[in-house]
Amino acid sequence: MQLFDVTQVALERAIGGAAMRHEAIAGNIANANTPGFVPTDVDFHEALASALGERGASVEEVRGELESATFEAGPDGTVRMRADGSGFDIDAQAAQLAANGLEYEALVSIAKGRVDILKAAIGVR
Amino acid sequence: MGLFGSLEISASALTAERVRMDVTAENLANAQTTSGPNGEAYRRKVVLLGQVPEDGGGFQTALRGAMGSRGGQVEVVAIAEDAGPPRRVYDPSHPSADAQGYVEMPNVNPVTEMVDLITASRAYEANVTAMQTAKHMFAKTLELLR
Repeated sequence: MQLFDVTQVALERAIGGAAMRHEAIAGNIANANTPGFVPTDVDFHEALASALGERGASVEEVRGELESATFEAGPDGTVRMRADGSGFDIDAQAAQLAANGLEYEALVSIAKGRVDILKAAIGVR
Repeated sequence: MGLFGSLEISASALTAERVRMDVTAENLANAQTTSGPNGEAYRRKVVLLGQVPEDGGGFQTALRGAMGSRGGQVEVVAIAEDAGPPRRVYDPSHPSADAQGYVEMPNVNPVTEMVDLITASRAYEANVTAMQTAKHMFAKTLELLR
């Protein structure tokens, strides 16, 4: 029996993924005026979903899958490159930035709530 | 650490956009300069931005790599001169006028400069927003310790 369950591990990985995604979006906005820059994105949802989604896997296997799941910043497949060689779209990037920030805060809130429950059970104030 | 990396990326863009504003200000200030240091009319300057290479070598790159940052920073590659021809204005009484009475004025168009200025300003704001989001995310993480 481990102190932190699989959900907590998944939350931790998701927080890391969201931080990485923020870095990618910040890079996109920083290079808004760079000719030929291809915007990047981190699809950590997909990596975590495939780690969590295996049918018939034991809890330990899922935990291992989660811990070994890797995220990578790749070219953003949703952008259309313009004729000037840049695919930057400030509206899309600003929306992604806001959404990702909120998602990060939500993940941290949930993780904190779960830790608080553990604390209450242990009797730590 | 992801969030420090993103702050660094946004900071690099703030620096780059500030250089763009400086150069725009220089262009506007010299819109009427007919005799520069080389005796010719001022030529409009253009800032060239580029992405910082991820495998550029050097200490900073090695440190970034070791900290897991993928490098998406922006930098000013060069400040080049606009190749456009100078504007020729007929003004025979001007001290810099040539034999035909024409004065070569800088190839600066104030409208273009104002547009550049607004673009740089908006890009600056977008990067400040990205920084603020990173800051909020960071503050939220610290709440875990409470």
